[in-house]
Amino acid sequence: MGNTWLRLTGAALVILSCSGLGFYMAAQWNEHLKTVEHLRKMIFLLKGEIVYANSPLTEAFERTGRKAGGQMGNLFLKVSEQLMGQRGESFYGIWQDEIDGLPKEVCLSSEDKQNLKGLGEHLGYLDIGMQERTILLYLEQLDLTIDYLRDHKQEKSRLYTSLGIMGGLFLTIVMY
Amino acid sequence: MERKDELINLFSKNIREILNRVALNFDEVQEIRLRVAAPLMLVYKNEEYYLTGSGDISKKLEEAYIISKNELKETMEYMSNYSLYAFEEELKQGFLTVQGGHRIGIAGKTILDESGIKTMKYISFINIRLSHQVKGCASPILPFVYKNHREVCHTLIVSPPRCGKTTLLRDLIRQISDGSRDFEGMNVGVVDERSEIGACYQGAPQNDLGIRTDILDCCPKAKGMMMLIRTMSPRVIAVDEVGSREDLDAIEYVMNCGCKLIATVHGSSIEDLRQKPVLRTLLEERIFERYIVLNNLGKIGNIDQIFDSRGTQLYKANIFGAEVRPDRQESRAYG
Repeated sequence: MGNTWLRLTGAALVILSCSGLGFYMAAQWNEHLKTVEHLRKMIFLLKGEIVYANSPLTEAFERTGRKAGGQMGNLFLKVSEQLMGQRGESFYGIWQDEIDGLPKEVCLSSEDKQNLKGLGEHLGYLDIGMQERTILLYLEQLDLTIDYLRDHKQEKSRLYTSLGIMGGLFLTIVMY
Repeated sequence: MERKDELINLFSKNIREILNRVALNFDEVQEIRLRVAAPLMLVYKNEEYYLTGSGDISKKLEEAYIISKNELKETMEYMSNYSLYAFEEELKQGFLTVQGGHRIGIAGKTILDESGIKTMKYISFINIRLSHQVKGCASPILPFVYKNHREVCHTLIVSPPRCGKTTLLRDLIRQISDGSRDFEGMNVGVVDERSEIGACYQGAPQNDLGIRTDILDCCPKAKGMMMLIRTMSPRVIAVDEVGSREDLDAIEYVMNCGCKLIATVHGSSIEDLRQKPVLRTLLEERIFERYIVLNNLGKIGNIDQIFDSRGTQLYKANIFGAEVRPDRQESRAYG
């Protein structure tokens, strides 16, 4: 009798944990979408600072970072701080290092990070027109990412949750 | 940040190391010059020196550190805060102003379009003029600039280049703005077309121009003077290096509005001004009430002569030093 209760409890735990994993994966998808949407807003602010206010990168990153807040806002603030420190490194080098140093909680794929690094490659180079074109190109990339994440949001959420539950059930049956 | 550190951070890594080893008082350094494939030079106490790779100063060319193209490029990146695009207008005029109020003069290849200079590329020559504020240098001329301790005269400072006319103007603005026991403080509007007077960095003046001073930075003089009158109601307007026909119209506008004007102009003497068509008009119409002529003998801002609107000499320095002559000598420079 005791053995049966133990088995039932084990089965329930397996199902719960597998389902939890499924829900977590679905939530991560949503979080990824939110992060990219937030980043898009920040890039728009940055564009305004550079193109309309004609601010240098230090100032543009600082103001955008303060307005936006969050982990991504912190990234911009740190970049601004590094630039102000004038330690003799290139902008692209500082930008890359700060992106690599992003905390793990920030929901960005390695492809997103690569694209974000690409933005820094040409920022500061040549005239205002060049800055605007560089930012617009990156915004296009962000729009594509957002479209993909939105289009597959429901499908992926459903897939991850049902896979989690089904996986839990499957494991329970196999182990029973 | 110390003045030296603030300045050194503007340079490429190699040049930073050299300047870090330099054992000079940076308050006395006037200029640092960088030219591609040429020696690193600095002007210290009015003397030109080469800098060696080990950070010593030398008069021997063969010991000088030679600057590469990449070092100049890197230096430009730091001077512009990695944002050369934000200095497009300044590049067209050939200078940047950086934190600390230092002026960076640049030269290279200009790119032209229909409206004139579009930008500059291949920047190969950089001249860093270190900002120096000499507080109190305008004190000797204050009694001549004020009328009845309450009113300021329309004043024109005449000076050859590098004699300290902007330094003198800067201190005059500060003293008029702050006021003192003898003279009351006044609202002063400054049109700083080339950021030389206030040396504004991100909107904040790096030089002390007084507590009642409003600065219109990087604004063309003629437009700026009119804007200030309409918006800030100054009692005194100060501008640097007047000389164009447009400036003359704006000067007349300022004077008709009841504002007092303090301006500077390039020239070695009053006679020199008479050779220039626009400035001759100023003299003939007796627009300015005081003409302060500087010379390059001795210290920066050395006053040579002071005249009134009719050309009567109010002051003359003798060769042994400044000598105030309160008794007005009846010699006429013009008119």
